[in-house]
Amino acid sequence: MINIDKILVVDNVSREFPGRKAVTNVSFEVKQGSIHGFLGPNGAGKSTTMRMIAGLLPPTSGEITVLGERVFGDNSNLKNKIGLLPENAPLFLDMSVEKYLHFVAKLHGVKNLNEQVERVMTELSLIDVRRRLIGNLSKGYKQRVGLAQALVYDAPFLILDEPTNGLDPQTVVELRDYIRRLALQKTILFSSHILPEVEQLCDQITIIHQGRVRATGNLTEIHKKFRQGLVLKIGLKMGEDLPDLSHFGKYDVTQEHLVGKEQQFHVIFEDDADCRSELGKYLISCGLNLLTLQVESPELEDIFLQVTETKK
Amino acid sequence: MIWTIWKKEVESYFSSPLAYVLIGLFSLITGIMFFNLLVTYTDGVQAIPQDMAQNISFVEEVVLKLFANINFLFLIFIPLLTMKLFSEEKRLETIDLFWLSPTKEWQVVLAKGLSALSLVVSMLFMTIIFPLIIWGVGVKDLSLLGTSYLSVLLNACCYISLGLFCSSITRNQIISGLLSILGILFLWMITWGGHLNSNYMISEIFNYIGITSHFERILRGLLGTQDIIYYLSFIFIFGFLTVKSLGRRNW
Repeated sequence: MINIDKILVVDNVSREFPGRKAVTNVSFEVKQGSIHGFLGPNGAGKSTTMRMIAGLLPPTSGEITVLGERVFGDNSNLKNKIGLLPENAPLFLDMSVEKYLHFVAKLHGVKNLNEQVERVMTELSLIDVRRRLIGNLSKGYKQRVGLAQALVYDAPFLILDEPTNGLDPQTVVELRDYIRRLALQKTILFSSHILPEVEQLCDQITIIHQGRVRATGNLTEIHKKFRQGLVLKIGLKMGEDLPDLSHFGKYDVTQEHLVGKEQQFHVIFEDDADCRSELGKYLISCGLNLLTLQVESPELEDIFLQVTETKK
Repeated sequence: MIWTIWKKEVESYFSSPLAYVLIGLFSLITGIMFFNLLVTYTDGVQAIPQDMAQNISFVEEVVLKLFANINFLFLIFIPLLTMKLFSEEKRLETIDLFWLSPTKEWQVVLAKGLSALSLVVSMLFMTIIFPLIIWGVGVKDLSLLGTSYLSVLLNACCYISLGLFCSSITRNQIISGLLSILGILFLWMITWGGHLNSNYMISEIFNYIGITSHFERILRGLLGTQDIIYYLSFIFIFGFLTVKSLGRRNW
C-alpha cells in the first residue's frame, strides 16, 4: 500500500563513480507538504543524491521511491511528478523565456499549455521579460526561469538544489517568500549552504557529510538530539552576579554579557532535566531580580559544524 | 514530441549565424564548382571535332562530377552541423531537460537528426538553380538528376548519424567535429583500401563496407537492394549507438 504521507523515501542508497564513492547507504524520508532542508558542505553528495532522486542518475544500490513509485522503474509518468531545479539551471540561452517554457511544457505533455506558462510567468514576475532571450537576462532572472521550468508542469514534488546561490539579497528574499508560498501546495526538497535560510524555511532537515547521512528528521528533534545537557539563558538585573548553582548539578557558565540593563548568563547543566522552576525560586530567594529564564536551543550552525567536524 | 524537439532545433540553427553562413558558403562553393565544370565541359567539346564531341556526356562531365563534389563538401559541412547537437547540451547540462521529461532517447536522436537533415535539404535546395540553368540553355538530358540528389541525401543521412554518435560521446564540440570528419574519411578510405587489395573477397568486403561504392552506384542510377540495406543499416546502427551512448548516464 502506498504511504502518501511520505512523498520521498530514500532507502540505503549508494552511488559509486570510477575510483570514488559519492554517497554511501543514504537513507531519509520527506513528508508530504513539508519543506525538507538538505544540508552538507561542498562535495558532500547533495547534488548526486538530488540527481538520483530526480531520475537523472541511477543508484549503484538501494532504492528511491517518490509517491510510492520506484524512480528507476518503468514509469515515465513519474517524470511529470518531479520538478528539479539543478545547481546549474538547464537553460537554452538562445531561446526567449516564453518559448523556452512552452518547450519544457510540451516535453511534459502539458495540456493547458498557454495557461500554465502564463501562470508560472506571472507567479515568478517574468511577464516583463517574456520575449527576451534567456542569455541576455541577469542571473536572478535566469534562476527564476530555471525555477519556472520546474514548475510549468505542476509537479507535486520539487527538488531545488541551492536555488538562492549567488543571487542578490532582494532576489533571495523574494525567492524565499515564493518557496514558502509554494510549500502550501507542494512538497519541497531544498538544499542550501545558508543555514539561517534552512532554519527559516524548513521543518525537516537531513545533514549529509562525506556521502553519509549524519542527521535526519524534524528540526526540533535534531536540536534535541544535539543538545548536550540543558542550556539556560538567565537574565539578572545589571550588576547582579550569579550565585553558586552546584546543588542543581554540575554546570558551566559559557557566556556572560550585558544586554541593555540586563546581565545575561549562558549556563550549561550536564544533566538535561528541566530545573527551571526550582532554579527560578532559588534565584528569587537569593534576593536577585530574575528577568529572563529560558532554555536555549543550539543554533543549526552549531549542529552542522558539530556533525561535519567530529566525524571527519 | 519529435516535432517539438525538431522545431526547437531548427529554430536554434536559424537563430544563430551558423545556418546562414553554412548555406551561403555551400551555395557559393557549389556555384563556383558548377561554373568550372561547365567551362571545362564547353572548352572540351569545342576543342575536339564535332562527331567526337557527341561522345562526351554532359551528365557524366558536369552533373555527376558536381554531385561527387557536393559529397566531398559534406565532409566539412555536416560535422559542422552535428558537432554541437549533443556535446554542447551535455556541457551546458541542458540535455537533462529531456531526461527529466518522459521523452525517450530515440525520440531526441531522431528529432536532432531530422533537424540536421533539414538544414542539408535547405543547402541542396539552393542547388536546384543549376539544373534550371542547364534546362534554360537547352540541355535536356538530365536523366540522372533524381538519383544524384538521392545519393547525396543518403550519404548525408549516414554522415549525420555518424556525427550524432560522435557528438554524444563527448562534451567538447571541437572533438566531436574532428571525430566526425575522421569517421567520414575512414568510410571513404575503406573503399580505397579495397581497390588496393588484390584478394577479390577482401576487396569486395571493403567495397561493401565503404560508402563510396554505394554512392557511386546510386549516383549513376544503379540503385540496388544491397545499397538500400547498406544505407538503412548504417543509419540504424549509428542511431542505435547514439541512443545507447546517451543512455549510458544510467550506468
